[in-house]
Amino acid sequence: MAKQKYTGPLERIDDVSWRIPKSYREGMRVDGIVYADDALLDLIREDQALEQVANVAYLPGIQSASLAMPDIHWGYGFCIGGVCATDPAEGGVISPGGVGYDINCGVRLVRSNLTRADVEPVKTQLVEELYRQVPTGTGRGGKYRFSHDQLRRLMGEGVGFLLGRGLAVESDIEHTEARGCLPGAEPDLVSRRALQRGFDQCGTLGSGNHFLEVQVVDSVHDERAAAAMGLKQDQVVVLIHSGSRGLGYQVCDDALKMLRGAPAKYGIELPDRQLVCAPIESPEGQEYIGAMCAAANYAWCNRQLLMWQARECFETIFNRSWEELGMSLVYDVAHNIAKFEEHQVGDQQKRVWVHRKGATRAFPPSHPETPAAYRQIGQPVIIPGDMGRASWVLVGQDGSMQHSFGSACHGAGRVLSRTAAVKASQGRRIDQELAERGVIARARSWKGLAEEQPDAYKNVDLVVNVVDRAALAKKVARLRPVGVIKG
Amino acid sequence: MPYETFEHTADLGLRVWADDIATVFVDAARGLFSMIVELDSVQPRESIELAIEGEVSDLLLFDWLNELLYHYEVQHLLLCRFEVTIGEQGLKATAGGEPIDAERHVLDHEVKAITYHGLKLERQGARWLAEVIVDI
Repeated sequence: MAKQKYTGPLERIDDVSWRIPKSYREGMRVDGIVYADDALLDLIREDQALEQVANVAYLPGIQSASLAMPDIHWGYGFCIGGVCATDPAEGGVISPGGVGYDINCGVRLVRSNLTRADVEPVKTQLVEELYRQVPTGTGRGGKYRFSHDQLRRLMGEGVGFLLGRGLAVESDIEHTEARGCLPGAEPDLVSRRALQRGFDQCGTLGSGNHFLEVQVVDSVHDERAAAAMGLKQDQVVVLIHSGSRGLGYQVCDDALKMLRGAPAKYGIELPDRQLVCAPIESPEGQEYIGAMCAAANYAWCNRQLLMWQARECFETIFNRSWEELGMSLVYDVAHNIAKFEEHQVGDQQKRVWVHRKGATRAFPPSHPETPAAYRQIGQPVIIPGDMGRASWVLVGQDGSMQHSFGSACHGAGRVLSRTAAVKASQGRRIDQELAERGVIARARSWKGLAEEQPDAYKNVDLVVNVVDRAALAKKVARLRPVGVIKG
Repeated sequence: MPYETFEHTADLGLRVWADDIATVFVDAARGLFSMIVELDSVQPRESIELAIEGEVSDLLLFDWLNELLYHYEVQHLLLCRFEVTIGEQGLKATAGGEPIDAERHVLDHEVKAITYHGLKLERQGARWLAEVIVDI
């Protein structure tokens, strides 16, 4: 399967959105809608991501449109950066490919009362302490070990399980999407293999695009929203990107195997095997949903434990407790997940399964699921960029409920493949180049660092501009990295 | 080179050409572990036996690589040498390697999973071609 340019139809809707009409291919049940400006669209056309947007439109029970955010790129099955909502009452399906292997991959942002000037003199020590203490990379377990029974409780209770063990505080739970626990979790449906993979990986970062970054607030674009989140210019924050580790990958893998025969059994025709799915109301669909929710809860515990270790590292370097350092959780959002939510579809209020595969929930002000502290401003939407340029904090807007099932983008989106990025870095030292830009980076694998270099990604500023202009979410603050640890 | 990686935007593709089906499975396994570790740094100090049922198809290749990945993830066992026989019942194999030694092994990618996306195992003239995309 080689990379090919998209040559199918694209109709302009307005400055920041495009339509792939359902007439493009016979099996499409709805249009595809892509959020992008002209410049981003030129990049998006380079591979098969748009074909994948069309493929998703085949899924039974899909509502409104197969949606793509401005950071979309070519994934397996679903494009990365896609949103699709299905209605169980219309034979709607649930698809593990619409969530991804890394169930509840997501990001969390932690603030501090330190400023850039406080961190600058100890920046290298801080990054090295984080690199020593926080497990990164492949083949490395963490310091937290859970028996299979404990893991089942952890998956059933989510972050609340860690509260009872002194590894979380109430405000951490308050500021985590779904309060760190999906109620539909069925830990007994998680296989022994998944438990084996997960027992020593809760509290580990992994590799690939996962990271832990020390950042500073580079600019503030909405003073009121920034104040509600406790963010201001030059402040030091920590951004953590990871998911459900081997446990979640195994849950997805088990589900794909279980569902191999489901499309034939239920008479579902699919243009790509990786889109395999089952009706939500079927036994197979319910089995996947129970296990997926359990893995999602594991992922929230993973990010909680990563944050906990980051707090400990700051305590060591600054010789003050994390509470004194003001290291409260701003918010934690999932960007690979499926959730049962209420949305307006046409003139009807419906409960639908929203698949967010590389897309972030972006609920507007006053939404009942937005925590009290953010009820006036909207749910924080945290968008990691690349390790050289920037990341962003936005807040959800009403437009997301009207157009994208309460969703916005999730990152910058890759522009170079991993192999192309490695080729482009032959003879270069990416860590030194980053150091010249003021970013201290530590990684287990030089190839990993090369693959994740800033040039491998689109400029995240351009991506969030589209989301902001489309009124899906509003820009609040731009964050600039100063320290990075990776796998 | 019995295997090569190919471009896929967010992930990595693995392509294998071989004269016989058993060699496809051996080279695909080596290709998989070459993504995880510098293969030359791994010694075949211990071995495991594997048996996978199923007829020769792309799904057998998928199940084989998936099984190896599971053993790596759970036992932290890096595998470098493979002997594979394929019969009517499926595949039997001996896989040799050693546990991770952080001092000696240069680790690279964490392979999250083998995917079905673009999965291919087919005869092309006198040779076999396999393609698989792994999630990184």
